[in-house]
Order: sequence, then C-alpha cells, then structure tokens
Amino acid sequence: MPAFYLIVITLGAFYLGYRFYSKYLAERVYALDPNFKTPANELADGVDFVPTNKHILLGHHFTAVAGAAPIVGPAIAVYWGWLPAIAWVILGTVFGAGVHDFGAIVTSARNRGQNIGTLSGKVISARASTLFLLIIFFLLTLVNAVFGVVMAILFEAHPGSVIPAVIVIPIAMCIGQWVYRMRGAVLIPSIIGLVLLYAAIPVGQMFPIHVDGLADMLGLSVRTTWVILIFAYTWVASRLPVWLLLQPRDYINGQQLLVALAVIFTGVVVGWDTITAPAVNDVAEGTKHWFPYLFITIACGAISGFHSLVASGTTSKQIANETDARYIGYGGAMGEGALALAAILACTAGLGSAADWNTAYASFGAASGGALDHFVTGVGHFLSNIGIDAALGASFAVVVVVTFAGTTMDTGVRLQRYILEEIAELAGFKALVGKTSLLTTLAVLIPLALALVPGGDSSGGKGFAFGQLWTLFGTTNQLTAGLALSVISVWVMARNRNPLAAIVPLTFLLFMTSWALILNLLDFLAQGSWMLLIMDAGIFVLTAWLIVEAVTALNRQRRTA
Amino acid sequence: MAARSWRDHLPQGSRGPHRLILVREQDAQHSGSGCCGRLGEAHTDLGGAADYRHSRVLMQDIGAVYREVRARLPDLTVEVVDPRNTVWLYPAVWQDARAAGRSARECFAGLRRAGAALAVILDGEVLFSGRMPQTADVVAAIEQRLSGS
Repeated sequence: MPAFYLIVITLGAFYLGYRFYSKYLAERVYALDPNFKTPANELADGVDFVPTNKHILLGHHFTAVAGAAPIVGPAIAVYWGWLPAIAWVILGTVFGAGVHDFGAIVTSARNRGQNIGTLSGKVISARASTLFLLIIFFLLTLVNAVFGVVMAILFEAHPGSVIPAVIVIPIAMCIGQWVYRMRGAVLIPSIIGLVLLYAAIPVGQMFPIHVDGLADMLGLSVRTTWVILIFAYTWVASRLPVWLLLQPRDYINGQQLLVALAVIFTGVVVGWDTITAPAVNDVAEGTKHWFPYLFITIACGAISGFHSLVASGTTSKQIANETDARYIGYGGAMGEGALALAAILACTAGLGSAADWNTAYASFGAASGGALDHFVTGVGHFLSNIGIDAALGASFAVVVVVTFAGTTMDTGVRLQRYILEEIAELAGFKALVGKTSLLTTLAVLIPLALALVPGGDSSGGKGFAFGQLWTLFGTTNQLTAGLALSVISVWVMARNRNPLAAIVPLTFLLFMTSWALILNLLDFLAQGSWMLLIMDAGIFVLTAWLIVEAVTALNRQRRTA
Repeated sequence: MAARSWRDHLPQGSRGPHRLILVREQDAQHSGSGCCGRLGEAHTDLGGAADYRHSRVLMQDIGAVYREVRARLPDLTVEVVDPRNTVWLYPAVWQDARAAGRSARECFAGLRRAGAALAVILDGEVLFSGRMPQTADVVAAIEQRLSGS
C-alpha cells in the first residue's frame, strides 16, 4: 500500500474526530460556555494570565508537548505491524489524548488555572499530591535513562552525526550570549545557526567520531562508553545557567521540528513509497505480544500524561475564551499524533524491501534496540526522494532527535535534582538539602544505573534493556495520564455531565498499565533483573494507589450527585 | 464571502484597527523542548523559578506594559507571543507592516528585529527590541505613534 494512503487515512480520521467527537466533548461533556470568564480574562496581569489568540496559543502548546518521545514509541511498536500501531495512534489520539489534553485545559481553567498536581490534591484527595510527586520522580528517572540510551545508540550507529550533534552546543551558546546578554533579535542568528548546523552534517560524514579506542581503554562496550559520556555531559549541562545552553538550543529545536515534519511528509508524497512492513507481524511464540504492550509502548503520540502538565497550569491560564480549549487541546493532540504517524511511515516505508524490514524487526530486542536507527534510516530514505543524499538525511534526523533528547535530559536532571531535594526534606535527610553538586550527581547516577542494566535488546549484540525501560517509561506516562483523567472525570461528574468519555480511556489505560506491569514483573523476576524489578514494583504500587484514589473519588462524587 | 483576516480570529471586543504585538518568552516554553522536558507550572513549583529568573523579569516588564496599555488604550488589539512561535510571529509582523503601507525593505528590517527575548511591535513597526525604557515611556511611544497615524 502506498504510504501516502496512510497519511490520508490518519489525517482523515483526525479530521472526523475533531469535527464530531471534539464537538460532542465541547457541548455535552465539558459543556463549554463562551461567556465564561476565563482566568486569563479574570486575572489578566500580562505575565501569567494573558488572554491569547487561539492560533498563537496552539503554537505555544504544540511546541511544548511535541518532542522525541512520539518518535521512539511508534518506531518500536511497528514491530507488531503497521496496523496495530496506526490503529492505536488514531484511536488513542481521537478518544484518549484529545479527551485528556482538552479536558486538562478546561478543568484547570475552571479552577483558576491550577495545575494537575494541585488539582489532584483538591479534587481527588490530599494524598494524591504526594502520589503526583512520586509519579514525576519515576517518570523523570526513566526519561533520563531512555534518552541517554537513545543518544548512545544513535552515536554508535551513526558516528558521522556526532560532529553536527555536538556543534549545536557552541552554536546555542553563541545564540544565548546574543539573545540574553546582548539582547539581540534572534531571526538572523538562528538562521545562521541552522545553516551552520546543516553545514556540519557533511563535515561529520567526512570525520566520523568513534570511541572504540576509549572503550577499549576502559574495558567497556562502545555503547556503554557513549552512555557514560552522555551522562557526564548532562551533569555539566544541567549545572550551567539555562540561558547559556538550554534556552537558546530551544530556538534551534523549534525550527528543526518544523523542518523535520515538512521534509518527511514531502519525501513520502514525492517518493510515493510503499509500506513494506506487514500489516500485522506474526511475532514468535513467547515474545512480547501487542496486547497489552502496544498501549504502553506508544504513549506520546496516542496519549501522554505529560500533556496534562503543560495543558493545566500554563495553557489554561492563557485561553481567551473557554471554547478555544477545543481547538488548542484537541488540535495539539492531533499534532502529536501526526508526529507519531511520521515515525510509523519512516519505519514501515523507509527501510527498503520487506526482507530488509524483517531483518530490522527480527525480534522485540532488535526492534527496541534499533528503533531510532530505523527511524533515521527511514527519514534518510524520504530525504533521498527529494534529492538529498540518504546518509546526510539520516544524519539530519539523528541531529533532530539528539538535540531534543539532549535538551530533555538537561531539563530532566535539573528537575530530578529539585525532586530529590524535596524528597530529602520530607524524609528528614537534611544533609542533602542545598547540596547542588551532590543532588546533581544522584540525579545522574540513578538513571545511569538504569540505562546500563543489561537486557536482551540489540541491533548487534549489545545487550541493553532499552525495550524494558521504554515500556516502564510508557506505563509511568500512562499513569500520569490516568491521574489527569481521574481529575477530569470527577470534575465532569461534579457538573452533572456524563463522564464516560473520560472514564473509558481512564479504565482502559489503568487496566493495560497494570497488566503490562504484572507481565513485566514476572519477566524481571525470571531474568533476575532486580533493578528493573524494583522500578516495576514501585510503579505498580503507584498504579494500585491511583486506582484506589480514583475509585474512591468517583464513588464519593457519585454519592454527592 | 469576504476574505478572513487575523482580526476575525480575535476574541470579541478586541478588534481595534491597530495591533500591538508584545514579544516575550512564555512559561510553557521554559523547560526545554519536548513533551518529556515540560512540566508546565509544576516545574516552577519544584524550584525552576530560580533557573528562569531572568526570563521572568522580562515577562514582568512586558506584563507592566500590557496592563498599562489595556487600561489606557482599551480599543487597541494586543497580542503576547513567544519569539520562538515563528509560524505566527513573522507572518503577523509582515502582514501588519504591509497593511500599514511599509515598503518590503522596511518590512524585512522589522522582521529582523521582531524576534527578540523582548520586543514591542505596533502595526508591524518594531518600536523596541531586546531592551526597552520604563513602562510609561513605552506606552507614551505607542500613544504617540497611534496619534500620528
């Protein structure tokens, strides 16, 4: 089947979802009121509360929710075939993410723009705030671990992309000096930065960076050496002032996201590639089955709890009219779904023949260990359709993913530092409070240890546990979505509206998450993977806790009604 | 059917004949690219406020201008946008500048200065970029331009 048909089907389904289901949500479930005075209007201060044009706000919201995760999940999940992956992206976006993101904005806007953490404490129970903090702790630990491995895999497989990926750092620092110190405008510097970055791609191809010598000296594998180097970089980066690297790199990332989406879809249309992956892959007996693993492998791109954190607390403070929440929340979810679609296309139509695809996706380990490599190869192929050398195209894709992953890890370690400090305070470990270097070291060592856990994933016998880490990350992300959907459900019930639109995805997510966690727990026990077992058990406890809190809150609300 | 313009998308009551664009970074963009690095307000609550103090200062400066303009010029359309929102910002500045009768050369010059960590743009003309004077002086400059138009 031509890949273009998949674009038409998916975007057509998104259109129908927006046209009809989001209308139903707006009118019957969330009962939007165009005369409701939003926090942006009621508290307008021009700083946090600003009534904002919905087109501007969609741009802010979308770039805040879109990133590398909707690429990784689908790139792994096509292991089960393109049909389950795209079906979950469509159904998840239309009936899950749309409801969740849209609902988080409305619920927050109806509560003076409070974030989901505060709202869960208020709407569900006081304990839910602690639950929220713990979920975020697990989430950030896993985010840092998986993105560390993602970067290592890409650098090992594409040594020609190391120079362009690294050159982003001095470019971003120059932009940071220009924008924040000299107060200059950013258009010309960011264009120059982007040109320099793309010019570095062929340079990187000419001078690929290998760390084999260092790896031999340390007695480690190449991938392990890269993982350690990346975490060492993250330690340093997270200690720098944000204006020097983190913020200015975002100026480059934003442009890169748009360029990447544009070239991928243009390449597919121009090349008229066909999908060579099977609709449903007949996976070997005893391997991970798509049911329930598909639903936690693709979190971002189908439904992601992270979105509720952006939707509540920030986007909700800026909607000028309550009815705009439909366009921004549901529209932003569809944008993320389109990113997942791009990843599915790259990994199902960009890898060559059916035999090539079968080799790339020979096992779940190969699928997860090589997921990003498959994505960048596919993007390289799409770029070759528009006259760009496939190797240069692949390097371009690596740079896009690495700059997002690097920024995410930088932020993740900073946040983890704050959370560890808060937990230390709560637990009475005063010795840790205010010790930034020590806290940063802990924030790096915990995910580093996870990232180095051995496992069965490989695209060349490297033996990492990336697939397991990714599914754990997916469960935690779905747990965050579950917390937000619980808040939304209780709030909808309190308004005497039918909450089924939120309760159905909530129940589905918690069921799939619990099931996958139990299966993983048994696997880790059998393999003797104690570190993953502890993480899994911890997340399972949080899931059980959330189920109890959600059921109690819904029952309480039902009795009140 | 009449062609739709940006004014058609504005909330009721804010469709004045002039448009002021206030550029400054948004909180939502503060914690790095990608959904997995954005915790929204939770990031600030957890301690991120200290990291982004410099951006908050600019947000507060623009906030003061916003409030003053809202109070003194209620008919003026005011938009607040992040400089990274290039898809909206640059076409909007270009469109406003052309609508105000500026030459293509002036429009390009405006675009070059529009995307700063702080900028004040009236009808496509960049009044301040990167730095600005006291709030009262900024508002006076806006009023002066409007009275001359």
